[in-house]
Formats: sequence, C-alpha cells, structure tokens
Amino acid sequence: MSEHDQHMAELREIVAEVLEVEPEEVADTADFVEEYEADSLRAIEILARIEKKYKVEIPQAELNEMRSLKAVHEVVARYAGWQD
Amino acid sequence: MNRVVVTGLGPVSGIGIGVDEFTAGLRSGRSAAAPIRSFDATGFPHRYAGEVPAFRPEAVLRRLRIADWGRSALFAAAAARLAVTDAGLPLPAADPGRTGAVIGTTSGESTVVEQLVAELVDGGYPAMSAEALRQAPAERLAYAVSAELGLAGESVTLATACSASNYAIGYAYDLLCSGEADVMVAGGADSVCRWAHAGFFRLGALTERQCRPFDRDRSGILTGEGGAALVLETLDHARARGARIYAEVLGYGVNCDAHHMVAPNEDSVAACMRLAQENAGVKPADVDYISTHGTGTPANDLCEARAIRAVFGDHVPPVSSIKSMLGHTMGAASGFGAIATTLAIRHGFLPPTINWANPDPELSWIDPVPNTARPATVRVAQNNGFAFGGNNAITIFGAIR
Amino acid sequence: MTGVVTGCGVLSAAGDSVTDLLAAVRAGSLVGTDVRGRFEEPLPAAEAPAIADFDVRRLLGRKGTSFLDRATALAMVACGRALADGGLTVDDDNRRRVGVVLGTTTGSLRSTMDFSRDTLVQEKPYLVNPVLFPNTVMNCASGQAAIRYGLRGVNATLAGGPLGFLYALRYALNAIRRGYADALLVGGVEEYTPNTAWAADLTGDGPAGEAAAVYLLRRPDAAAAGTPRAEVLAVATGFHPDDPAEGLAGCARRALATAHVRAGDVWAVAGGDPDPDTLRGVVPAAVERLPVRPALGDCQAATGALALGALLGRYAEDPAPHGRPALITGRSRDGGVAVAVVRGWRRAGDHHG
Repeated sequence: MSEHDQHMAELREIVAEVLEVEPEEVADTADFVEEYEADSLRAIEILARIEKKYKVEIPQAELNEMRSLKAVHEVVARYAGWQD
Repeated sequence: MNRVVVTGLGPVSGIGIGVDEFTAGLRSGRSAAAPIRSFDATGFPHRYAGEVPAFRPEAVLRRLRIADWGRSALFAAAAARLAVTDAGLPLPAADPGRTGAVIGTTSGESTVVEQLVAELVDGGYPAMSAEALRQAPAERLAYAVSAELGLAGESVTLATACSASNYAIGYAYDLLCSGEADVMVAGGADSVCRWAHAGFFRLGALTERQCRPFDRDRSGILTGEGGAALVLETLDHARARGARIYAEVLGYGVNCDAHHMVAPNEDSVAACMRLAQENAGVKPADVDYISTHGTGTPANDLCEARAIRAVFGDHVPPVSSIKSMLGHTMGAASGFGAIATTLAIRHGFLPPTINWANPDPELSWIDPVPNTARPATVRVAQNNGFAFGGNNAITIFGAIR
Repeated sequence: MTGVVTGCGVLSAAGDSVTDLLAAVRAGSLVGTDVRGRFEEPLPAAEAPAIADFDVRRLLGRKGTSFLDRATALAMVACGRALADGGLTVDDDNRRRVGVVLGTTTGSLRSTMDFSRDTLVQEKPYLVNPVLFPNTVMNCASGQAAIRYGLRGVNATLAGGPLGFLYALRYALNAIRRGYADALLVGGVEEYTPNTAWAADLTGDGPAGEAAAVYLLRRPDAAAAGTPRAEVLAVATGFHPDDPAEGLAGCARRALATAHVRAGDVWAVAGGDPDPDTLRGVVPAAVERLPVRPALGDCQAATGALALGALLGRYAEDPAPHGRPALITGRSRDGGVAVAVVRGWRRAGDHHG
C-alpha cells in the first residue's frame, strides 16, 4: 500500500467511527454534512483524533474546508508535511 | 385562577449581591469578567469567567451549616434568603406547607463532582469521599433553599440546563395560579467548573475576555456562575400582607427543538415565543423589551434574532443580553434575566448590552441597547431562555395593573 | 383532571416486562447480574442488580448511538417502548403536544466525571471530546429521546434522586392539567456504572441498581378508546427534614384528599422502602406492600417508576384490586417526601403468564 493509500485508509477509519458509518461507506468526495449528517461537534472530534494520531496541530479555522475525506487528507497533508 | 406577582428579588452575581448592588450593576453596565479563580486555569488558552469572588455564604445564610452543602446549593440558598428578605416575607410562614422552592440548574453541584474527580484521579474510585458523594445530587439545590427558609411545601430542582430558571419560574407560577401554593421561591444556580469551561472552549464557543452579544465580531460565551431567586406569590396573598409588588408574572411557554442537542433551532424558538405570549395573553406589539438568551456566540445570536423577527415582524422591541455583563451563568441565567426584566419594569430602564462596538449587518433589525442603560417605560417584557437538549423556556412579566 | 397511563416501557435487572418486575419484587431477593468484564475499572461487587444484555446498537441501530451514555440509551429505548405500547403514533399534527418528562439524580455521573477527568489527565485541559459534551448535561436523556421520536412538546428533567420519578409525575400531571400537553412520556432512569456502584457502596446506600421505566401519560379525553392500564389521580410532595415519617403521612393525606380517595380504600403501597411501618396509621394495616429496593437495589430516580411498574403488574394479573387505589411513596435522606395516588385496571388482554 502506498503512503497515500495508507493515510487515506487511516483517515477513513477515523471519519467512519466519528460519523457512525462503515469505513467502506465513506466515499472520497462525499460531503460529511450532506451525506452523513455530520455536525460541528463531530467535525471538531474528527480534527481532534487526527491531531492526536499524527501529533500535528491544525487550526479549527481549517474545519470549513474539511468537508470530505479527500479534503481532510489535503489539509492534514499540508500540516503534517506529507508528500503523498 | 390566581394572578401571580413578584415581590422579592435575590441576585447573587458577579455584578452585585443583593438587589441594590445588582440594580446599580445593570444600570452602570458593570462586567463580572475576570481571570478565573475557582480552578487552576493553567493550560487553557482562555482563562476568563464571570465568577462571584465576593460570595461569602456565611454573610447571608442564617440556618444552613455551610460545610454540609456544595457551592451551587449555597448560591441557591443565599439568593433565596436575599429574595425573602427583600420581599419582607414573614418566616416561618403561617402555613409552611403552602410555601415552596423550585430551583433550576445545568450542572448541579459541579464543583463537588469535580472534587470527586480529583479524588478518583489520585486514588481510584474507593478514594471518593462519602461526604462529597452525599452532596453531589442536584436535588439538594432546592432542598438547600427549603432548609434555609424552613419551607415545607414543594421543593424541586429542575435540571433543564441553561433555561432551567425559566422552567422553575413557570412551574412555580402554575402552582400559584392553580392555588396549590401561596408563595414560591423560584430561580436557579450554577457554579463555574472546569468541565463546562473545557467543553465550551472545545466547541469553539468560548470567547477570550469579553462577551459581546449581537456585535458583528462576537466570538462566544464566558462561563459564569451565581444564584438568582425571585419570591413569587399570589396577588391576593401579596395584597393581604401589604407587600411591595415589583411586577406580575403574566405567563410562560416551554417546548423542545427535537432537532439537535446543541445547535439552536429558529422555528422552535419562534414557536416557544408564541406559546409564551399566548399563555400570557399578550401580543407581540405589547412587548416593550426582550431580555434575550443572547449568549454571544455567532450561531445563537443569529438564530435568536431571526426568531424574534419571525414573531415580531417590523416591530421588534429593544433587546439586550445581560450575559455581556454576567457571562453565561447556565442554570441561573434566565433567573437573572427574570430579575433584570422585573427591575426594568419597576424602575423604567433597559439594561444594556455591554462590550458592543460594531453593528452586525445580518442583524439589522436588532437594537441591543448598546453599552449604556436607557430610560424606558416597560409595561410588558419577555425573558428568553434556551438550552442544550433543545429545552426552550420563555417567561413574560408585566407592570402590575 | 387526572392523567391516564396507556403505555409502558420498563427495563430492569428483572427483565423487560412488568410481570418479570413484579415477580422479582415479590420474591424480594436481590436480582444479581454478573457485571465483571463490563468495565475496565474495578467494581465493589461481582454481581449487581444491573440490566443484562442491553445492546443499544442492536435495539436502535448504529447511527446516532455510538456516543450515547448508558442512561440516555436506556431512556431512549424505554421511551420508544412506552410510545409503542400506548399505540401513540407521532406525526406533524400532534408532535408539538407530545413531550418527555424524566427524573434523574445527576444525569450520567459517569459521563460527567469522565469528561471532567479528561480536563485533568489529557496533555491539555481542553482536549475533551466535543461529541460527549452534551452527555454532561442532566437533560441529555430527555433531549435525545425527543430528537429520536420527534417530540416537540413539553420536555423537562427533574433532579430528585429517590423522588425523581414522583417529581416528574407531578410535573407531567401539572402540564396536562394546565393544557400544555396531550401526552407525555414520564419516567425515571438510572445507569449502573463504576461511578454509581462505588458511590452507593461508599455512602452505604448500596448496592446500586439500574433501571429505565417510562410511561405514556395522556389526557383522559385524548386517550385512545379501550381501558387504560392505570390512572394517576394525584401527586403530592413536601419537605420535612425534621420528621420525615410524619411529613410523608401528611403528604399522603393531602394526595388522598386531592384524589378524593378514602385512605381505607387503599389496597397497596409501593415504593423503594421495605419499611413495613411506612404510612402506618394512614392506610389500612393489611395493605399489600411492594418495596422494589430489596430486589433491585438503589435505583434512585427510577425507584418510583419501578414501583408503578410493579403495581401495573399486580393490576394486570389479579382481578381483585381492579379499579382500587394504591399509593407510591418516596422519601429522601434530606427530607423530601412524595406520594402518588394511582388506580389500575385489569384489561381484557391481560392474562396470567
């Protein structure tokens, strides 16, 4: 598994758990709010779990962008310095 | 059906303890915001709250043994003692069974629970102290009031979070209307605690130093604390004893969003206003002033302002948020709102929304009585309270006719 | 005006029906469930009167249930069963007139203490889980039940410890009498956790129990056709720290007077208290006593709700008390007292097990 795929799988796991769906149900570009009834509490918790797992700090202002798995990956990659 | 009036006020707040200090605080736009003393706030990026550092229960209470009760119970009992003194209510009552207490709260004995948590972290569950465990149940807020005042009537604590004082006032109003009681002490109490501070910070709903409701740049609540109590009695009972009457309780309404535990719901809030007005027998055009829930978060104030416009149309009365001065005192908040509303009616002024600097173009219909109290004739006033769990409760007060 | 009980949802260590509940209360010995392995933390005893095999995900689905605390989950299930048992379909025409009124002690003590503990043990004091923040408020269960079933009417939570249910019942009866609601889910809920187990153990109130019992209370004129299970005639409360026994007796007399019921007609007294002297001098000496505590432990705010459940079990099984009044009593350590007057009926569909 490439580093990109590995990260996506890990993030998918986190998102699925907080949004209470199966990981395979989380499509890469599906909108968390529209598709999975996410709210601000869950969005903050997703961010918190990511920060904990990757030991990275991401400002809450980025939450506005983190509306899909793909978008989450992009934001985390930027702050964690991922090259994938 | 009995009419119900307010004859005594007991605020224990960060802007004043007792009705005179509190009135002066409202009139001058005093702020309770200060660095937190209740707990070690090291590590929190935001370290301000609206505490009551001047609270000395032994200076107010006459009967309770202070060591037997938690901080919130002491707030409730002290507020109640001040309120009955203000009301000139003779105690013990001729028939103690017809005088009772209804107290609202969000977090009950939060500081007692946090003491238990500290003991648990240090030594595991068996290290929790039995005395603190006995003090933790939230029912003791109302019991503290009844024990302090020697009341034998109904003594209940309503745990409907941040609108709980309005629930308490409403329930007390019902018991008086229907003749089940002659006098009820109603209000609410809560204490500043770590967990609420952390929770609101984590939600991004906690401001750093200044709560500025309805301002364009509002950035959240300050946690606050205190005790608020009102003496309510039937008009007949008040007149028979020659009591001074501040105002009349005209009615109230409660409903539930059934939508989200935390996010407010505009339609439901508007529906609650209509319920309260209908119950009170008033029309929107009768309302001269609204003491808002006004937490100072972007979402609450927008939702509340829109609901107000939906109900009041083009004739929105002046509104203000005393949370700008007190912080968010949780279960006591709508009790302080009720006291402020009563004082507005009695003394003819509108409490200001302090820390206000910039109009919010999205709330163009809102006049928040910015920064300075304003003289006004207030015949009918509405006191909003909303809460986690979608528990909306609104009380309506009027000048005595 | 009275309120009629048309449905119930009862979960306790004794099982999921009022028949099971009554059998356990009658047997009078502690119903033990093996609670080892349920928590990581140590417990004061290997067995406790806790609800066995409760799986919220199986009962309510995964969505919206992973972050619920146990008290809230139990309340939601009990509310759903009471609605279904009472045959009330909630729709846009009636949801503003249907609500929830629950009794509690401190809400979920575990939720609150865990959340607070995180402020002490996490790397930063604010690293708490925001999704769990609503679980720290005591009205969490009633708010979540309202969301689940779309109930936009009167919604309240009464913190009353051992009197929690009786306070909730009185509050609900008032809301119905005043015309604020047509139907209310009224109940008491307490969860079994290490926090409640140790609290009961350390204060000498143990063993801690666990239960959720919720009843659908309706306006008499709004109730569906057919015989209801029971009717709540009156609830009285008071505060008597100096003489709680006499306070309770006075409270019972007031409740009976309000209900227009003669004390001599009372056939049963149910409550937490196993004391056979409770209300002696008020009710007939031969009155049947149904104390729930010996079998189900300290269920705090659910105690009165279990007492009502045991009475419903009796009314259903036995034609003798059909239509006769019974009392539910409660008293707290601090001096709170409360008494409810109810009467129930054996319905056409009620049969022996």
